[in-house]
Amino acid sequence: MSVYAVDKLCRRVVHDPELRRALERSPEETLRAATPVLSEEEVRLLLAGDVGRLSRLGANSFLLHQLGRFGLFGLDLPEHGKRMRAEYAAERAARWGGRR
Amino acid sequence: MVVGAFGVPHVPHFPSWVEDGHPLGPEIRRLYDGVATRLRAAEPDTLVVVTSDHYNEFFETVPIFCVGVADRVAGPSDYETIPRREVRLDAPLARDLHAALVRDGFDVAMSRELAFDHTVIAPLHFLVPDVDVAVVPFFVSAFLRPLPSAERCFALGRALRAGLERHGGERRIALVASGSFSLEIGGPWIGEDSHTGVPEPAWLERVLELLRAGDVETLVAEATDEQLALAGNAGGELLDWIVVLGAIEPAPPAFLDSQPAFGHAFAAWPA
Repeated sequence: MSVYAVDKLCRRVVHDPELRRALERSPEETLRAATPVLSEEEVRLLLAGDVGRLSRLGANSFLLHQLGRFGLFGLDLPEHGKRMRAEYAAERAARWGGRR
Repeated sequence: MVVGAFGVPHVPHFPSWVEDGHPLGPEIRRLYDGVATRLRAAEPDTLVVVTSDHYNEFFETVPIFCVGVADRVAGPSDYETIPRREVRLDAPLARDLHAALVRDGFDVAMSRELAFDHTVIAPLHFLVPDVDVAVVPFFVSAFLRPLPSAERCFALGRALRAGLERHGGERRIALVASGSFSLEIGGPWIGEDSHTGVPEPAWLERVLELLRAGDVETLVAEATDEQLALAGNAGGELLDWIVVLGAIEPAPPAFLDSQPAFGHAFAAWPA
C-alpha cells in the first residue's frame, strides 16, 4: 500500500469541496481518477469505509477521521470510532485491560 | 519586551459549543477567560503564537520549524464552524526573528503565503476576539514523525527570547502556546464513546504537576519521543508549550486549570 496516496486523498477531502461532491456522487470512479494513484486494495478499503484496516496498513489515522467527519464511504465520526476500536481491540485490551 | 507567556488548547468545536449553548460552554468560556483576562492585562502589541499545523498548511513539504512572514493571513482553513477572520501579522518582527534564529543555528523555514487552520484561529477567537493585535505565527512539527526533540524545542524557545529582546524594539510581546498534552484523534487509542480520547491521563497529570512547580527542566527531560507518542497522535503538541516555556524564566503559573476529559490545560505566566 502506498499510504501517501490515501493520506493525500483524506487531506484533499478537507480542502476540496468539489472532490467531496464527486466522492458522494460517484465514489469508485473518483477514487480511480485520484492522484497520486490509489492501489486496487486502497480503492476497495476506502469504498468499504474500512478505516481500521487502512490504519493498520499505515494510513494516517488522524487524516482517516476526516472521511467520517465529511460523511464519506458510509462513515460518520461514531462509525469511524467504532471501526477503529474494533480493529485495535487486542492492542487496546493489552494496554488498558479492563481499566476503560 | 516580553509581557508574558500563555497556553491554551484549540479544540475546533469549542467556539460553536460556547455559541450554541453546549453544556460545557460556560466551563470553556471560564477557562479561556482565565487566560484572556491576564493576557489582555499585559496589553500586548504582538502575539507570538506557537502551534502545530494539522496537515492543513504543510502536507507535501513538512518543515520541522517554520515562521510565517506574510503581511496578513486568514483562517480557519479547515473548520467553517469557527468565525473566519483575517489576522494582521507583525511581518517585520517575524522576518527579524527568522534571520536571528537561522544565525543562531536553528534552520527554521519561512512561509511567505499561508492560511491559518483552527490551531491559530480558535485561540485568537477566545483570547483576542476584538483586539487589534499583530501575530507572529511559529509552527512546530508535532504530528508527522520525526518530531523535533523537547530539548531542541526548549533551546529554540531560549533563542526566540534572545531574538525578541534584540529585535522587539518598543513592542509589548506575549507568547501563546496552542496545544494539548494527551490527545488521540481518530486513531487506535481513542475513547470508548468518541472518535477522540485521552490515552495517558497520568501524563496529563504529570505535566500539570511539573507546570505547577515551574519545573520545566524535568518536563523537558520526561517529554521523550516515546512519551509523546504514548500521549496520542496529537501528544506532540506539548512541544509548542515547551518552546514557549523556553522563552521565559521557569516559574509557577499565575493561572493553571485543566480539562482532564480533553487532555489539555489553560495557563498564564504574566511577566
